[in-house]
Amino acid sequence: MPRIKKTIMIKNRQGLHARPATLFVQIANKFDSIITVKKGKDVVNGKSIMGLLMLGAEKGSIIQLQAEGDDAYQAIAELESFLLMEE
Amino acid sequence: MKIMDFLSKKAIIPALKSTKKEEVIKELVDALIQAGEISKSHRNKLVEALLAREKLGSTAIGQGVGIPHAKSEYVDKLVAALGISPKGVDFDSLDGEPVYIVFLLLAPQDSAGPHLKALALISRLLKDKYFRDNLRSSKDEKVILKFIMEEDEKKI
Repeated sequence: MPRIKKTIMIKNRQGLHARPATLFVQIANKFDSIITVKKGKDVVNGKSIMGLLMLGAEKGSIIQLQAEGDDAYQAIAELESFLLMEE
Repeated sequence: MKIMDFLSKKAIIPALKSTKKEEVIKELVDALIQAGEISKSHRNKLVEALLAREKLGSTAIGQGVGIPHAKSEYVDKLVAALGISPKGVDFDSLDGEPVYIVFLLLAPQDSAGPHLKALALISRLLKDKYFRDNLRSSKDEKVILKFIMEEDEKKI
């Protein structure tokens, strides 16, 4: 099964707070792939709002997205464009 | 930062009365007023701000946890109240599940950094199912406080 990784910098000036985390999970949930998000030594489930908030990803922080599954490519593309769109 | 840096010791409700989101938010804001953390004269403005935030999207974050929050000119430092609901609160959550643990957070206007950090701490605190079950089965605020303080001490 394809596994895609992508490193992204958080652009949102308030960081990955509750609202973007919720939207992120809504997008992630459309896909069957297993999605994880890594920041530093923490790796969390990309389909869990609580998990994403735990990262406390502020503006300028670097996170790594990973998707594993048949729709991994599409999942990463959508999640990446969502994160890059957020200001 | 630790949970006890912003969680008001006197604003912990072991058994929320209401099962409606709006009423639960009011219960917790009132607890903060009684604890002397915020002024009674700002009650309605703060409740309005919290409800306006809920309108943008539910603050339920899964696993039966809700974190209603707002930034407001009427608070001068980060402050939180905690309520446990024995029956569960309808929170319009993504997963459709009721919320049993409600962490209400108020922050000053210009506090993106500390606010995000507080959300991270709360999520970290509540990620463990065993811990959540302990909180939910606690019958009084002293026990809840003790559990949280123990967790706070574990992280340096």
